[in-house]
Amino acid sequence: MCKQDEDMTNYYFTAKEMCVGYDDKPLIREMEIALPKGEILSLIGPNGAGKSTVLKSIAGQLKLIGGTVSLGENVLSEMKSGELAKKMSVVFTEKIRAEMKSCRDVVATGRYPYTGWFGILSKEDERIIDEVMELTHITELGAQDFNRISDGQKQRVMLARAICQEPEIVILDEPTSYLDIKYKLEFLSILQEMREQKGLTVIMSLHELELARIVSDKILCLKGEFAERFGTPEEIFESDFIERLFDIREEEFGENEKLIKYIRQIGRI
Amino acid sequence: MYENRKYRSIAAFIILVVCALFFFILNVCIGSVRIALPDIVETLAGRQDDETLTRILWDIRLPRAAAVLILGGALALAGYLLQTFFNNPIAGPFVLGISSGAKMVVALLMVFLMGRLVRVTSADMILGAFAGAILSMGFVLLMSRRVNSMSMLVVSGVMIGYICSAVTELVVTFADDADIVNLHNWSRGSFSGMTWENVKVMTLVVAVTCIAVFLMSKPLGAYQMGDAYAQNVGVNLRLLRVCIVIFSSILSACIVAFAGPISFVGIAVPHLVKKLLNSAEPIRMIPACFLGGSAFCLFCDLLARTMLAPTELSISTVTAIFGAPVVLWIITKRRVNHV
Repeated sequence: MCKQDEDMTNYYFTAKEMCVGYDDKPLIREMEIALPKGEILSLIGPNGAGKSTVLKSIAGQLKLIGGTVSLGENVLSEMKSGELAKKMSVVFTEKIRAEMKSCRDVVATGRYPYTGWFGILSKEDERIIDEVMELTHITELGAQDFNRISDGQKQRVMLARAICQEPEIVILDEPTSYLDIKYKLEFLSILQEMREQKGLTVIMSLHELELARIVSDKILCLKGEFAERFGTPEEIFESDFIERLFDIREEEFGENEKLIKYIRQIGRI
Repeated sequence: MYENRKYRSIAAFIILVVCALFFFILNVCIGSVRIALPDIVETLAGRQDDETLTRILWDIRLPRAAAVLILGGALALAGYLLQTFFNNPIAGPFVLGISSGAKMVVALLMVFLMGRLVRVTSADMILGAFAGAILSMGFVLLMSRRVNSMSMLVVSGVMIGYICSAVTELVVTFADDADIVNLHNWSRGSFSGMTWENVKVMTLVVAVTCIAVFLMSKPLGAYQMGDAYAQNVGVNLRLLRVCIVIFSSILSACIVAFAGPISFVGIAVPHLVKKLLNSAEPIRMIPACFLGGSAFCLFCDLLARTMLAPTELSISTVTAIFGAPVVLWIITKRRVNHV
């Protein structure tokens, strides 16, 4: 192992002068993100601030209006789609269409970049699928029809699918929105586990500020034409910045503080 | 629910093959002259002296049954591709106006060439039909960008179909040549008058296309998940879309060129087959759809020939009787499942 220097090359995910939007109309400009391997970045901001747009752009599904996104040394737009598929997986708010598919079938679709011409699963693929389903606690959902489970269960299956793809980085858009508090915590602890075990880098948008605060290494605040702020949770949550970001009064935010206390008590994260 | 899928698939394929074979044999046996099975075997082995029987078998029954087998399969597969492409369970070459577009161009071509006493070859017909299919497909694609609703897309397809059919009717009506009588029968859909020459050409075109489609089964499976996830696992969406459009148009064109437009097979068969397999995986669905389409069309053609013999029904009359209820069933079922 070579000695690591404290310079740019240490960052796994970098966005330089990234400008995102639809139909050449920029929504957010000049974004700078730099994330070392194995860190969790949360995007927060009011509805309509462009969190999904940023995530879609990062995932290469929306063309960048300006700037570049890189994974390690590789510029994303220059990578082959098959190569990128082995490094990055996504969980979007849009559900997977699964006709006559069991949950296990849906998880298995994550193996796509690794299977041969006809997509037949090998023994090794089957083993990874079972392992991931166990890790994400959805083994008991395996045989059920994906279209007949709840939205919350779907989110968990979709996370399993994304992990099954064995990515280096996973992009998640509001991954916990349909989960109740127990599963929200479980979901995030799975991400933390993956980060510790496999050095998984995570970029996600989160509704729940309290969760963002305790789970993230970095937080990016979005509001308006420029990224409002990028930093560690401590930097972001100091003073009255959050109140200004969401236009809320202190006592309202105080309500959420109770939730944090509750979470800390449970001690899951 | 999905545990025994392997055995279910094997069982389904056996059923489909048996059905296709059974109706193929019935089609060869039954007609204005009934031919017993032993006689067929004798004739095929070349030990039959009855000249009439041999001619009926070799020149009429066998090429027709072979054509129904091939085109029926192609039709169901074209429907399956279009349903996958538009993520629309009632899409098919007929309802989207693709068959009618192909029919229109072929009719124009035939009238134009016959008027100049030029012989129309199978290849000309297929190329003409392909041009028409692509033309209609282009319109449907344009419409699909403007309308979001599945039902509206189908309505626009039906409208395109009506326009093309009207033009075809106009052309056929004004060109009252002796040859045009055939054109009229053909434009309503019929498997009659197939020659071995036709069968050769269609086998070549359909076989190559079907193999190409089968080779695409992995990306097609990913495409079914939705664009975002297909792209995420490395599918080249643009290339795949172009391939689906071209292959479904070739298949539709081939059917129209030889048998005219045939309704409902493209919608009904993939759904019935999907139920039978209890799976929507393209790797199973593609061959199963082909077999199912063959069996279904062989069955329908048998009825079309024999129900009101010696008058022959248009094939679409029969396919509609059995296919349209399936479409209604699909629509009502979707409401319940809020999909």
